[in-house]
Amino acid sequence: MSKTKVLAVTVVSVVIGLFFLFCLGWAIIDYYGKKASDIGLNETNPIEKNLPEDFTVVALGDSLTRGTGDETGKGYVGLVVEDLESKYNSKPLIHNLGINGQVSQELVQQVKQTEVKRQLHTADVILITIGGNDLFQQGQTLFDYDLTATSELQENYLENLNTIFKEINNVNDKAAILLIGLYNPFIELDEDFDTNRIVRDWNNETAEVVALYKNAIFVPTFDLFQLSVNDYLYSDKFHPNKAGYRLIADRVAPLIQWEDEK
Amino acid sequence: MNNLIQNEMMKLLAKKRLVIIGIIVGVLVLMFTYAQYKQVKEQQEKLGTDDWRAALQQQIIDTQNRLGSNRMLDEWREQLQVSLKQQQYYLDHDINPSEPGATTFTRMFLENAIDLFIPLLVMIVASDMVSFENSQGTIKLLLTRPVNRWKILMSKYVTLLLSVSIIVAMTALLSYFLSGLVFGYHGWEAPVITGFGLNGSDVDVSQVRIVEQWRFLLMDMGLVWLVAVVVGTLSFMLSVLVRSTPAGMGIMLAALISGAILNNMVSSWESAKYFFMVNLKLTTYVSGTAPPIEGMTLLSSVITLLVWWALALIVSFTVFTRRDVY
Repeated sequence: MSKTKVLAVTVVSVVIGLFFLFCLGWAIIDYYGKKASDIGLNETNPIEKNLPEDFTVVALGDSLTRGTGDETGKGYVGLVVEDLESKYNSKPLIHNLGINGQVSQELVQQVKQTEVKRQLHTADVILITIGGNDLFQQGQTLFDYDLTATSELQENYLENLNTIFKEINNVNDKAAILLIGLYNPFIELDEDFDTNRIVRDWNNETAEVVALYKNAIFVPTFDLFQLSVNDYLYSDKFHPNKAGYRLIADRVAPLIQWEDEK
Repeated sequence: MNNLIQNEMMKLLAKKRLVIIGIIVGVLVLMFTYAQYKQVKEQQEKLGTDDWRAALQQQIIDTQNRLGSNRMLDEWREQLQVSLKQQQYYLDHDINPSEPGATTFTRMFLENAIDLFIPLLVMIVASDMVSFENSQGTIKLLLTRPVNRWKILMSKYVTLLLSVSIIVAMTALLSYFLSGLVFGYHGWEAPVITGFGLNGSDVDVSQVRIVEQWRFLLMDMGLVWLVAVVVGTLSFMLSVLVRSTPAGMGIMLAALISGAILNNMVSSWESAKYFFMVNLKLTTYVSGTAPPIEGMTLLSSVITLLVWWALALIVSFTVFTRRDVY
């Protein structure tokens, strides 16, 4: 190895070393010397940046949208998409925004987010499951059965539901909105049918709100689970199992019209 | 002194260590590039679109669902909440947190390599800097020269610093050029958000600002370099103290790996923050992820590392100048 080569490597590495030292100083000074934000962040509404023109399904809501209880993880949303796929021989675009345990108040917040709005804007069908956590609160409501408390919950819920529909219609008044009704997972534990009455009433009031919006459809599920609820519930006795989701999907899928507008 | 350094440099280059390190980095970068390429493809397949906003939104939803599960350690929950808020911030301001391109890849690679991979590479050079002279017996030839002992050690240390610089630069360049083959050589100007203030799981966005990615990358490299120097100095010290190279390497390796493990579980053991290996992830402060122990800051970590660095130097020089060589 020649002397000049060694010298060259040495000089180069000295330069690199000093440069890194400079970068280090810069990093620390920059980190602590941060000026107040004159950052010019673009707060522009990115709704217009379009997603592809495919048939788009946006699913909002709670654990039912997420598919909790289905060991294959699909949930009714996944099953509906599969049905559509085999019926129309083309894959729809699906945005599943379901969050476990979501209550209507949180969904109101979610549909106000810019990105969620943008996705809703491009949607052709919007699927919603909400209210189950509002009403049941992990089973709490029904065990200490209290009519005034329940009706207060219901009032808040209906108000939130109205807001949700309004928000959605603001960005997209063409898409069909399918709101999935509640079933009663406690039907077998209940001897004098108190819970049935509450859930039925809840569903009726929900359907009344849905009826105010002409592109919205209320999809009942109460009857599906009425007779043999345990065959269709997951081991937590709250969420549907795979067969239960199948029942819901079979009801939802035929309602979706995939028009060949393209 | 100059001649001594030249001499050491010659030994270093003759050992071809740097070439080996280059090959290791090259192979790893190629692997990661391919893995990331696959991941991106799979994600596009799953979402049916290559729109990054949809992908990020889905990530946010997934994180929210993970947070919903009640069997989760508190510190993980906190970290998830922090990253959730940051992702939401990126999304709300319409900025892609991982703009595709070689620059982003290099930044991510360096940020992930800082606490284990880069230190390992540095160890390849540093851990036998002195001890190989012992094992080959050449130490006697070296010490019989009419030069002060500390000068000899100094020349070795300067050589180490130079090779550390080469290693960091080589890692950055290789990952830029190799990943660019797949992702393209762009992303220099891409905006990166920095300055998230953290307070537990709260994210303070009052100080947030946007930096062009090339600036961010250079700052990252400075921090990586500091970590490399400190780890290099520590293994240099071990190479003076422990005559056998494998033993020195083993000790250093154990320290580094324990650091990686401790990082995941020390949040309740506060005095662990004085260990150097818990302080290696300097880049997290700049990008705004939660530090392993609450109360750690960039400055405290840098100072901790510098204290370890200074102690290692003092120990090395005292031992080397006083030791009997036979």
